[in-house]
Amino acid sequence: MTAPFLQIRNIRKQYGDVVAVRDVELDIAKGEFMTFLGPSGSGKSTTLYILAGLQEPTSGDILLEGRTLLDTPSHKRNIGMVFQRYTLFPHLSVGENVAFPLRVRRKPKAEIDATVSRALKLVRLEGFADRMPAKMSGGQQQRVALARALAYDPPVLLMDEPLSALDKKLREEIQFEIKRIHQETGVTILYVTHDQEEALRLSDRIAVFSQGEIDQVGTGTELYAEPRTRFVAEFIGDSDFLKGRVERAGDGRADIRLGNGFMVSAVPTHGDAGPGRDVALMLRPERISLFRAEKPRSLAATVRDVTFLGNNTHVQAETETREQVAIRLPFGHESAAGLQSGNAVWLGFDPSSARAFC
Amino acid sequence: MLLDFDRLGWWKWMLVSITALVTLFLLLPIIFIAALSFGSSQWLIFPPPGWTLRWYEDLFADPRWLQSAWVSAKVAGAVTILSVVLGLLASLSLTRGRFRGREALRALFITPMILPVVVLAVALYAFFLRIGLSGTFVGFVLAHLVLALPFSIISISNALEGFDKSIEDAAILCGASPWEARLRVTLPAISHGLFAAAVFSFLVSWDEVVVAIFMASPTLQTLPVKIWTTLRQDLTPVIAAASTLLVLLTVGLMLLSLLVRKALKR
Repeated sequence: MTAPFLQIRNIRKQYGDVVAVRDVELDIAKGEFMTFLGPSGSGKSTTLYILAGLQEPTSGDILLEGRTLLDTPSHKRNIGMVFQRYTLFPHLSVGENVAFPLRVRRKPKAEIDATVSRALKLVRLEGFADRMPAKMSGGQQQRVALARALAYDPPVLLMDEPLSALDKKLREEIQFEIKRIHQETGVTILYVTHDQEEALRLSDRIAVFSQGEIDQVGTGTELYAEPRTRFVAEFIGDSDFLKGRVERAGDGRADIRLGNGFMVSAVPTHGDAGPGRDVALMLRPERISLFRAEKPRSLAATVRDVTFLGNNTHVQAETETREQVAIRLPFGHESAAGLQSGNAVWLGFDPSSARAFC
Repeated sequence: MLLDFDRLGWWKWMLVSITALVTLFLLLPIIFIAALSFGSSQWLIFPPPGWTLRWYEDLFADPRWLQSAWVSAKVAGAVTILSVVLGLLASLSLTRGRFRGREALRALFITPMILPVVVLAVALYAFFLRIGLSGTFVGFVLAHLVLALPFSIISISNALEGFDKSIEDAAILCGASPWEARLRVTLPAISHGLFAAAVFSFLVSWDEVVVAIFMASPTLQTLPVKIWTTLRQDLTPVIAAASTLLVLLTVGLMLLSLLVRKALKR
C-alpha cells in the first residue's frame, strides 16, 4: 500500500493552558471528500487553519504526499481555500478575482483567460466575469470564491463552513454544486461544518470533532449505525438516552437494568462496561416500536406530545422513571391513529439496535 | 418618529432660522475677505467703493508671496506622504497587533489632536532649537507631521476595521506573499481611508499657522505665516487676496475629495 495522500500527524494547538486541538491524527486519501464535523470550539476550524498555514501548530506534522507542509509558508503551499465569510477582493471584478492567483503566479495572459472562463463555467457563472462582487448574492459570491480557489488546480481544497451565511434552500442548492464539482475535478476536499445534514450529504468520510479531539472517523452510515461515543451518537442523527446499570458484561455486550427494573440483555457496549457501572442506553427514535396495548418485554410510558410532520409523526413519551423518549412513526403507522397526549403506550426495541455508553 | 421634522410646527421655522444664522456666522468672514480682495480701496473698507483685480496682480508679482506658497505646498506634500505611510503602518499594528499597551499607544498617537496647539508649538520649538532643526524644512515637516498623524491614523484605522482580515488571508492562500497581499488587496480595499488621510494631512499642514510661526525663519515661511507677518506690518488687501486663494484651494480640495471618495466607495 502506498503512503496516504495527506497525513495529519499528532497535531496539537495550545494557547497557554487551553488546548484547542489535542493530538489529532488523520489520513486522507487522494480525491476524498473529508468533513470535519463538530460544534463550535471543537478544534475543527483550527485544524483546517493549520493545514492552510494561517496558524502554526504547537506540535505535530502535516505531510502531503509524504513531505511536510509545515516549513512551507501559506502562500507557497498551493492549497485552495474557501472561507466562511465572503472574501472576494472588493475592488476587483469576478473575472479578475478568479485571475488573481494566476496573475500572482505570472501565468501568460492567454492561459489566464482560458482558465478563468473554465473556472467560471465550472461554478455555472459564465457571463459574470465583469460583475463586481458587491453586486452579487451571497451564494454567487461563494461560488466565485470556489472558482478562484480551484483556478490554480490545488491538490487540496479547504472549505471552512462556506455555506453557513446562506439560507437553507440556497445552502442545499450549493451543496449539490459542490458535490458535482468534487466529482468533476477529483480534488481532495477538507470541509468544515457544524451541520450534520450537510456533512452526511457531501462527505465520503466524516471526522467528528469534540473538545479538540477526533471522536470517530467513518462514513455517515458507519457513524450513524456504530457510534463509538455518546457524543457521536448525539451529534449524528437524533437519539434517546435512558439511564441504566450494567448487570453482567462480557464480549463487548452487556445486560443492562433500566431505572424501573426493566432488563435489556446483550446490548453492544462502548467504553469500560464492568458490572455495576452506570451507563447511558442509546436508542434511535425510528427503531423504537410503539404499542397501544401492553406487550411483554416492553417499556411502559405516557405520551406527552404528538407532532404530525408529513412523512413522520414525532411522539414524545415519558417513561415511569420520568425519562423523555422520542419516537418516530412513519406515516400511516397503525399506532399513530388517534394518538394523543396522556395515552398510555408500551415501547419495544431490539436490544441489538441499542448501544450502551459507559 | 418623535422628532419628525415636518410635524414640529413653528419650532421647525425656529430651527431653520437658527441653522441659517449659524451658517451665516461661519461663512460671513470668508465672504467678506473674498469681497475685500476684489475691492478697490487699499484700506479694506466694506462695502468696497469699486472693484479691481489689482491686489491679485500685486500678489502674483511679488516673489515672496509665491515663494511662501511654494514652501507651503512642499511642506504639506511631504507631510501628506509621510503621514499616510506612517499612519498606515501605525494603523496596521493598532488594528491587527495583539500586544500589551496597544490602547495606550493608540491614545498617545491621538494626543496631538487634544493638546493645545500652542503648547505643542512651544515644546517643539524648544526641542528643535536644541537639536538644530528649528527654521529648517525638515523641522517644519516633522512638526506638522505630529499634527497630521492623528487624522491619518483615525481615517486609516477606521477603514482597516471595516476590512475583513479573511480577505487578506484569501489572497495569501491564492499565492500572494503577505506584503503582496497587503499591496494588491488590502490597500485598494481601504483606498478611501488612505485618500481621506492624505486630504486631512495636507489640509492640516496647508493652513496651520501656530506651529508654523514657531518653525518659520525669515527665509522659510509658509503661506499662513506670510499672511500673519504681512498683517502685522501693513494692512494691505493683498492679504485678503492671498487668504481667498488659500480658502479656494481648501474648498477645491474638499470637493475633490468628496468626489473621489464617492467614486472609490462605489
